[in-house]
Amino acid sequence: MAGKFCVSLTHAKDNTDKATVAFVVANAAVGSDQETMVFLSTEGVRLSQKGYADDIHEEGFAPLRELMENFAKAGGKIFVCSPCFKKRGLNENKLVAGATIVGGAKLVEFLASGSPSVSY
Amino acid sequence: MRDPSPTTTEPEADFQWDAGEMGCGELLLDLRFRLREMRPGQTIKVTALDPGAPEDLPAWCRLTGHHLIWKLHPVYIIQRKEN
Repeated sequence: MAGKFCVSLTHAKDNTDKATVAFVVANAAVGSDQETMVFLSTEGVRLSQKGYADDIHEEGFAPLRELMENFAKAGGKIFVCSPCFKKRGLNENKLVAGATIVGGAKLVEFLASGSPSVSY
Repeated sequence: MRDPSPTTTEPEADFQWDAGEMGCGELLLDLRFRLREMRPGQTIKVTALDPGAPEDLPAWCRLTGHHLIWKLHPVYIIQRKEN
């Protein structure tokens, strides 16, 4: 891997445009041999649940589910904000591929090693 | 650095702290204060139920230099670093 790259996403069905573009960019990063991590926080954590993204398909883009599956298959990681996850009562047993529930230290460790970050 | 696997029985710790459902920054800051009150080499047994703890506490130890000497979620035993 050439370097690290973080995509921070705070939206889900409240802004499907941003949610989709975030994963398009993440796929560009992982496809460019970057160790890529999508950080889901606030509303974005809903995307960590299997089935949630199934009906999100922005015009001109691949379906979000497909984008997320391809991201995970390529080795991309998804960090899911623990307090945001708990606040919404989501299910730990329904995480999508590549997703891990984390607290702040895991995010800090990733970014503190010199990762650039883009936010949606 | 590899995280320690629970291949041995749980070691005795000098202190114990039940963090309950506490997680993320709240857990880490409280833990930081507790470690600061301990002497170098002393250990604390932390019970943390937060689902982020299995990833977060090892990462916090790597960042701060404290030693995670044993873990089996939700139990983590951390040894204070020298300085």
